[in-house]
Amino acid sequence: MNTILGIGFILIVGLFSAKAAEKIKTPAITAYLVIGIVIGPCVLNFMPDNIINISGIISNVALSLIAFSIGQNFSKRTFQQVGKQVLWISILEALGAWFVTVTALLCFNVPGYMALVFGAIAAASAPAAIIMVVRQYKARGKFVDTLMGVVALDDAWGLIIFSISLAVSKAMYLHLSTSMVSVVLKALLEICGSFLLGGIAGILLSYIGRLIKNKTELLIYTLGIIFITTGLALHFHVSVLLSCMFLAAVVVNLNNESFKYFDVLGDVDWPIYLIFFVLAGASLEIALLAKIGFIGIVYLVFRVIGKFAGTYFGAKISNADSDVSKYLSLGLMPQAGVALGMALIAKDQFPEVGGLIFTTVAATTVVYEIIGPFFVKVALQKTNQIHA
Amino acid sequence: MQVKDIMQTKVISVTRGTNLAQLLGLFKDFHSFPVVPVVDENQVLIGIVRMRNLFDVFKPHHQEILMRNPLSMLSHEPTDIFDIDIEEGMGFLVIVADIMDQKIVKVKESQSLKDAYDLMQLHSRDAIPVVNAEKQLVGIISIFDILMQIFREKGVA
Repeated sequence: MNTILGIGFILIVGLFSAKAAEKIKTPAITAYLVIGIVIGPCVLNFMPDNIINISGIISNVALSLIAFSIGQNFSKRTFQQVGKQVLWISILEALGAWFVTVTALLCFNVPGYMALVFGAIAAASAPAAIIMVVRQYKARGKFVDTLMGVVALDDAWGLIIFSISLAVSKAMYLHLSTSMVSVVLKALLEICGSFLLGGIAGILLSYIGRLIKNKTELLIYTLGIIFITTGLALHFHVSVLLSCMFLAAVVVNLNNESFKYFDVLGDVDWPIYLIFFVLAGASLEIALLAKIGFIGIVYLVFRVIGKFAGTYFGAKISNADSDVSKYLSLGLMPQAGVALGMALIAKDQFPEVGGLIFTTVAATTVVYEIIGPFFVKVALQKTNQIHA
Repeated sequence: MQVKDIMQTKVISVTRGTNLAQLLGLFKDFHSFPVVPVVDENQVLIGIVRMRNLFDVFKPHHQEILMRNPLSMLSHEPTDIFDIDIEEGMGFLVIVADIMDQKIVKVKESQSLKDAYDLMQLHSRDAIPVVNAEKQLVGIISIFDILMQIFREKGVA
């Protein structure tokens, strides 16, 4: 099978599997992953090698679009809109999951660079799965509003935490023998480089964008700037995620009509995400599942404890209702798309342990996707948000 | 020629507190739901309600922010309006502030027709509100108004 035939096949199978998944109230992303696993090397082995070869390009494009899109949340207006309660809770639950997971893994003698990556991935949650449950039970109320705000923002904090952790982690991995100072310097260089690149690209996007007069040009222009930013980030070995997120953040704060850059991508991005998640499913190494046991269980348990602790402190600081401090973290348990995207990046960066990280996250994702919605439902019941 | 020379000045606008029942009542006899500007007490334009914003009644809170995470999409389908029950009370509970679009595409009254046309093309809009230097709502201009002007100039209309 040649590459184009393979892509066409993936698009069509992905499309109809997502339609089928909808009937059983499952998010489209989960369907893409399952299809990927089924046609991947571990089951049917239907995936042509040359498609696996272009998966690097697809994942960089998909992740840069996701980061760009999520980056528009970093505006003063959004922060005012969601209010301080959602801000505090979302920041602290993301940091809480990171901190508790890293600490727990370090206590169990997992190498520092791996613990950092797992901790960072722990911060992400799965908005689609959570919205699905809220919608399924027609839940409404103040608790749901707070939950939706936190869910909307926590992947944004998650991506920042991940990018910074990854920079530190890479520096630790590559310089195992050198001093802490050089690790910190190298990580700082990567982070500052990303901000500089994203910042310059953002200013350019915003100012030259005034010359763009129609929608087709706008789409070409926006994609062009995002690809240049991503390409330069790869060239200079700085973070693609941070660069694209910062690009978006700069544009959103510079330009009143910046929504046009984000809206125009809405028509073209889904086919890319579809291919991305099918390929993610296909790169799952089922043979590694046997090896993840211990780390997987620590990750599963301590992510939840971290989310709970973070939410609790966030709720206390912002004087939220006791319902929010007690139950909101239950609603944040599902994990899927963003976490897998992060794990795929980690897989690329750490050739030796990357496969294990990815397979662990993929396996725990399956667990969270199965038990997560149940806990979301419990949270909604406990807080009397289900009125049916 | 400037926008203010051909814009429609009789505009039905609403405020943040207008409820859904009142909003629907205003336009029930229209051919289709128009672009409805939302103004504050000083007539300053603060939002727009378009047909697509009516869908927000069916969606969760913080919809606008949630949609910025592409992975929060449940499926390829837009909201399934046939599968959602709405209580009667929603007519009074939902207010314009909950559903209005704050991503406003607007044009100043002193701008040229070409500017207004380009702006509408860029954002795929058929009509956009017109404001004065103080950001107050003064009218609405549509692609139809611009076409009419061109037809008039050519002697067609």
